[in-house]
Amino acid sequence: MRIRLVRWSGLLPLLGFFVLLGVGWLLFGDFIVEQTSEEASTELLGTQVDVASLRVRETQSAVDIGGLEIADPFNPMRNLIEARGIRLALEPEPLLEKKLVIRRLSLEDLRFGTTRRKAARPVKGGGFAPQTLRALNEWREQFDVPLLSLAPIDTIKAIVLDPAKLSTVAAAGALRTRADSTKQALETQWADIDVTRVVDSATAIAKRLEGVTTTQLGLDGTRKAVTDVQRAIALVDGTEKKIQGLAEGVQRGVRGLAEGVASVNEARQRDYAFVRGLMKLPSLEGPAIGGAFFGQVSIDRFQRAVYWAELAQKYLPPGLRPQAQAGPKRLRMDGTTVRFPREKHWPPFLLQAGDLSFGLASGAAKGAYALELRNVTTTPALLGRPTTFTASRSAPGTKLPSIDVRGSLDHTRTTPRDQVRAALARVPLPAFDLPGLPFRVEPGQGSMRFDFTLVGRDVDARWNIRSTEVRWPVDSARARTLTDMESLVGRVLQGLGTLEVEARLMGPLAHPRLSVRSNLDDAVAARLRGLVGEVVAAGERMARAKVDSVVDAQVQPVLAQVGTITAEAERRVPVAQQQLDQVKALLENRLKALTAGLGGQIKLPGLP
Amino acid sequence: MLALLKLLQALVKALHSEGTPGQVAAGIALGAVLGLTPLINVHNALIFALILVLNVSFGGAMLGWLFFTPFGFMLDPLFDAIGSKLLLESPSLTPLWTAWYNTPGAPYTNFNNTVVLGSFVSWLLLALPIFILARIGVTRYRATIGERVRQSKFYKALTASKAYNMYRLFRPE
Repeated sequence: MRIRLVRWSGLLPLLGFFVLLGVGWLLFGDFIVEQTSEEASTELLGTQVDVASLRVRETQSAVDIGGLEIADPFNPMRNLIEARGIRLALEPEPLLEKKLVIRRLSLEDLRFGTTRRKAARPVKGGGFAPQTLRALNEWREQFDVPLLSLAPIDTIKAIVLDPAKLSTVAAAGALRTRADSTKQALETQWADIDVTRVVDSATAIAKRLEGVTTTQLGLDGTRKAVTDVQRAIALVDGTEKKIQGLAEGVQRGVRGLAEGVASVNEARQRDYAFVRGLMKLPSLEGPAIGGAFFGQVSIDRFQRAVYWAELAQKYLPPGLRPQAQAGPKRLRMDGTTVRFPREKHWPPFLLQAGDLSFGLASGAAKGAYALELRNVTTTPALLGRPTTFTASRSAPGTKLPSIDVRGSLDHTRTTPRDQVRAALARVPLPAFDLPGLPFRVEPGQGSMRFDFTLVGRDVDARWNIRSTEVRWPVDSARARTLTDMESLVGRVLQGLGTLEVEARLMGPLAHPRLSVRSNLDDAVAARLRGLVGEVVAAGERMARAKVDSVVDAQVQPVLAQVGTITAEAERRVPVAQQQLDQVKALLENRLKALTAGLGGQIKLPGLP
Repeated sequence: MLALLKLLQALVKALHSEGTPGQVAAGIALGAVLGLTPLINVHNALIFALILVLNVSFGGAMLGWLFFTPFGFMLDPLFDAIGSKLLLESPSLTPLWTAWYNTPGAPYTNFNNTVVLGSFVSWLLLALPIFILARIGVTRYRATIGERVRQSKFYKALTASKAYNMYRLFRPE
């Protein structure tokens, strides 16, 4: 019996299957897209994204979003952006390639920094954004910004130090290990070279041939003697080379030990600061006061900028190499999804242009604003143009706020270059608490400037605020009886109507250097020095003595050991070189004596 | 419950009289891809259409799907490794994937995902062995215990169900 290949009756259920799919899309398509985009953008940005409603307009190749809220990843009760209505006009052709190219983005009623009704859920999981957020929380820990302690000086009391908590002890331990290994390495190399044996052997040959003539040795004896002397000279030369190598090793070892000693001294300085902290001694240095007052709030600003820059560098990678990312969440294993960009083709995501005009109807910042986005893409190398954005509101000659934000993310070359420049004038500056003190800073209206540049992994950022109507109210939530020093600082602050703060972060992104200065620094430091300078100096002496008493017992033997090793290594090398030079000179004399009078009649081995 | 019953009927009938062993085996081989690869992908819609339109045993395909689904979950790490090898560690194949990824419609297959590609390639390699083994298995089943099962009360009760008539629509011709 011949079996037919095609079952035509199956076409009917197949048609039914596709009709079912179509009906399913009509009923649930918008919901599925809404849920998927909410989930994907939450994962992508590392913060809760809420989409109020979403409608796919298939015939117009557009998507209408009824409302969008993007929570601030650093403040769950605040929205970064809130928009009532968004329309994405899509290019239909790239959709066939599963690529999202937004021809034009338009937004209605865009607002920034709004308060959320419900706190945003923290984003869990191992996605890049949550990982970055966690990493940045650890990153900020590296900035040592001690609080300005204004506890009563009479609280300075004897403290009991646990040696394990002092970094000098650990540094001394590391130096001891290093010294031991350096010593052992030098001893091993010294034993391998065995200068004494070489010198003794060469001296023995020289002595054996002392006063011996060629006549006594005969032709064969002379040839053998010359060979012996030449071998001995070669051995001395080889040993001299080894000694030179050893000398270089000694220098490296000595340098390493010197670095170790330096790190012990640095650790001791940190321990002084640590004990000062335990004794609650206030710092009377200007930069330390600036850091204590405005360090945390500056780090907050820089941390946010670094977070978004990190996401940009991840999601907008340079080059056209395949881009791997985690696959979609499903019951089965996610796997890895790889994108294969191709020249002269659409990138997987592109927002060609977004011109957004929005207005704030009330508040100090009311007025009309313009926001412009260009070339936002996941594959900048395909586009060959940097992503740019500007937000501006110009109000020259008025008392209205002026905003000028410009930025570019240039990932078209191998080394990405991200830049943001924000200059805000006559804007209400956010109030914040002075860390560790019951005062609050209410800068009122003022100007703010923020410059951020990230080139590759090097950051250079500056945050600057200026206000001429600053107020320093006592924070009622933290109100308590003020100490003398707090009262003094309070009086200094109340006398200041101007606030100027400049914070700078620069260097490698992993370990940048933070410096903070303000107009308060010198004023507060001078007044505090006048009030408690002597007591603080005495306390500092006590802190140093306390640290020294604990660590000296550990550090001094190590430093002595390092000194001995260094001296011994430096002494041995010249002595050995001198011995080898002497014995070599002796051997060369013997060689001359043996070869004199031969007149070149017989060819001696190895002689030129 | 009705769906389960229908499925059970389909499976039992597939092993007995619906179609030749070759048709049942072809159904199992095609159904295996539904179990081995992540389900929601365009290639599976195509395979499903083929199961309906080609003259293979629908019950066999359901049997293949059911049988290979646990293997799909179990072998995901292996599929991921195969997919990674093909997508990420074979530079000579990059032009092929690049062309595929930039071809209209093709990206919806999700063959740029390591698990999807790894499982699909594995199925391609296993399809013929699955077909041969299933064909031998069905032939031996029918020749040995098949007749006894056919005479059992369970089988008769199952095939007497009205729901079974629905399934008859897909039986091989």
